[in-house]
Amino acid sequence: MANVAEPLVLPDLEKETRTKDELEPGYLVVCWNDPVNLMQYVTHVFQKVFGWNRQKAEHHMMQVHEQGKSVLTRESLEKAEFYVHQLQKYTLHATMERDA
Amino acid sequence: MKQVRADEQSVVFQLSSSERDALIQILQTYPAMPAGPYGGSKERNNPQAAEYQRLLDEALAEKRAAHKRHLDAWLAAPDRFHKTKAGCRLTLERADSEWLLQVLNDIRVGHWLELGSPEVGELKPARLAEKAITTWLAMEMSGFFQMSILEAFDC
Repeated sequence: MANVAEPLVLPDLEKETRTKDELEPGYLVVCWNDPVNLMQYVTHVFQKVFGWNRQKAEHHMMQVHEQGKSVLTRESLEKAEFYVHQLQKYTLHATMERDA
Repeated sequence: MKQVRADEQSVVFQLSSSERDALIQILQTYPAMPAGPYGGSKERNNPQAAEYQRLLDEALAEKRAAHKRHLDAWLAAPDRFHKTKAGCRLTLERADSEWLLQVLNDIRVGHWLELGSPEVGELKPARLAEKAITTWLAMEMSGFFQMSILEAFDC
């Protein structure tokens, strides 16, 4: 078999669609207070979605309850989107904001 | 709805006949939430955020449709509510508790929205119209069943 160098053909790679800015942890996941979601339920959801222990989940639940909202985490765009989706699946009022 | 016994995998509840009927009736109102997310985005004017929210709305609609299919199959399972002298017994698998909590909360929040998103204590059932009383009862009862599940699994 002839040992002939052939031009290397690389597969087409999908272009990176996320900018560097979007990959940095500059997005806040915020949960807002409402009069309908039960406190124990909110604590349970925080534990499930973020894997927090009960103490940390209760701390954020109380922040939501007493201060009207709680910043739950600061993440990249993709991760923040994921967490907002998870929280909305549980019918919590959650949004994502760019960290100023 | 009282917890009879529990292990790693499941919890057995004792329900009266009226509690069983109420649970089935309430679950049949699922989904109660209007289309789209609860609360919505704070960045509706941002095209990128709006596009993300649109995709999220679609994903939530698909999730609700999947929950509805699961719920219908779950309710139709033979002997789901096993008759006893005092009413019936419901065995809830731990794996089922998570989606059932989501379903019950959708019903609770959906009915609350239907009532006009009132503040706690603002609602006076005696002053509600007949239709609104049914909505209010569904909201309160779904909360009751949620709490029973959360306490049973010590979630």
